Amino acid sequence: MMQALQDSLVATAQGLPVTLAIWIAAVLLGMAGGFVVGALRFFSPWPLALPLSVAVEAVRGTPFLVQCFLLYFGGPFIGIDLAPLTAGLLALSVYGAAYFSEVFRAGFMAVPPGQLEVARMLGLSRFQAVLRIMLPVMALGVLPSLANLCVILIKETAVLSIITVPELTFRVQGVGTATFAFAETMLVLALVYWALAELTAWGARAAERRIERALAA
Amino acid sequence: MSPILQLRGLQRRVGSTEILRGIDLDVMPGEVIGVIGPSGSGKSSLLRCIAGLDEIAGGSVQVEGRATQPGDGAIGMVFQQFNLWPHLSARDNVSLALRLVRKMPAAAAAEKAEAALAQVGLGALAARKPAALSGGQQQRVAIARSLAMEPRVLLFDEPTAALDPELTTEVLDVIRNLAASGTTMLVVSHEMGFVAGLAHRVVFLDHGQMVQTGTPQVIFSEAAEPRIRSFLQTYLSRVAWVQG
Ligand SMILES: Nc1ncnc2c1ncn2[C@@H]1O[C@H](COP(=O)(O)OP(=O)(O)O)[C@@H](O)[C@H]1O
Ligand SMILES: [Mg+2]
Repeated sequence: MMQALQDSLVATAQGLPVTLAIWIAAVLLGMAGGFVVGALRFFSPWPLALPLSVAVEAVRGTPFLVQCFLLYFGGPFIGIDLAPLTAGLLALSVYGAAYFSEVFRAGFMAVPPGQLEVARMLGLSRFQAVLRIMLPVMALGVLPSLANLCVILIKETAVLSIITVPELTFRVQGVGTATFAFAETMLVLALVYWALAELTAWGARAAERRIERALAA
Repeated sequence: MSPILQLRGLQRRVGSTEILRGIDLDVMPGEVIGVIGPSGSGKSSLLRCIAGLDEIAGGSVQVEGRATQPGDGAIGMVFQQFNLWPHLSARDNVSLALRLVRKMPAAAAAEKAEAALAQVGLGALAARKPAALSGGQQQRVAIARSLAMEPRVLLFDEPTAALDPELTTEVLDVIRNLAASGTTMLVVSHEMGFVAGLAHRVVFLDHGQMVQTGTPQVIFSEAAEPRIRSFLQTYLSRVAWVQG
C-alpha cells in the first residue's frame, strides 16, 4: 500500500513533464490551427468554408479516444506510421484545433456589425478594419472560452495513455497494474489531474485578466 | 445657395418590401432636419441610405452635387448603439481614422482628437477606455469621432435612445451646440421637445413615405394630417400619463 503510493508519486514525477509538454504544444498548435480554420470558415466563400466545417464537425462528433485509435492503429494502413508521442501530439492538436476554430469563428460572428460600419464610414479599408477593429474585439470576446478549452485539453491528455504515450495516466496506471493497488493509484491520479486543472484554470484566468486589461481597461 | 445634400426619388427595397418609396429632400448648408415617424417607418433606413450603408433601389443621393460612398468623408453618422471600439481609449477611438485614413502623424492626430473630445466636453477623459465611461460619455466620444473627420453632413440615428433618461441631456446639449455652430445635420429622435427646439425643418415619415415636411411649428402644432396627429398624440398621452 505505502509502496504503491510511493511508486505512484515517482510515476507522477516521470509522467508530469510529458503531460505538460504535450499539453502546451497541443494548445499552441491547436490554437494556431484553430485560428486559421476559424478565420477561413468565417471569411472565405462556401466552397472552402463547407469542407472545413465538415472536417470540424467530424472531429467534434467523434470520441477523442476513437480518433487516437484511428490515427495510431489505423494510420499505418495508409502509410502514416507515427511514434506514440508524435501521434498523441498530432491527435490532441487536431482535436483542440477543431474546438478552437469554433471559438474563433463564433468570436468573429460576435463582433458588433455597427463597430465595423463605423470603420467603413470613417474610411478604413476592409483590411484595416479587420486588423485594427475586428481582431482585437474578437480577441476580447473569446478569452474566457479559450481559457476554458485549455483546461479541458489538459484532462484530455489522459486519453493518450491508450496509445502508450508515457504521460501521467500511462505511468501511474503502470504502477496500478504492477502492485494491484488500482484504487489507490487511480485516486492519486485523480488528485493530480484535479490539481493540474485548478492550476491551469487559475493561470488561464490570470492571463485572461491581463490581456483584458491590456486590451480594454 | 445650392443644397449641400440632395435626395431625389430615393427608394429602398428588401425583397419585395418597399422600405423607402421615393424620398425627395434638399438640405441647405447649416440646416438642421429633424426626422420623426412611427417605429418601422423607415427613419433608420433613410439615414443608412444617405450614408451609403444600405443599398438603394432607385433615385440618387448627392452631397455638393456628387454621389457619395461610405468612407469618402462626405457623411458622418452617429448610431443609437455608440459603437465605440472597446479596445481603444477615447483618444484612439477618435484619432484612429485620422492616422489611418487622413495619414496624419500620430502626435497631430492625438492633438486633433483631444480638441474634438474637448468640443464635446470630454477633454479630461481622453485616456479612458469605453468600459470606463458612462453611456452619455460614450455617445459623446462617438460624436467626437465623427466630428474629427469633418464631414459635410452629420447624421444622428436616435442618439439618446439607448441612454438612461438622466444621461440624455448631456448628449442633446452637444448636438444643440453643433447645430448652433452651423453643422448641417439630420437628426432622428423620439425626443419631440428636443426636435421642436432644434430643427429648422421637420420631416414626418410613415411607411417609407415623406408624409409632410415643414417647420416644427407646422408639424407639431398645425399639421392636419391625421397620421401626424395620431403619432404625436401617442407622445402627448404618454407625457400626460407620466404627469398624472
Ligand atoms: N434588412 C432589412 N430586411 C428586411 N426588412 C428591413 C430591413 N431593414 C429594415 N427593414 C424594414 O424596413 C422598415 C423600416 O425600418 P427602419 O428604417 O429601421 O425604421 P425606423 O428606423 O423608422 O424604425 C421596417 O418595417 C423594417 O422591418
Ligand atoms: Mg430606427
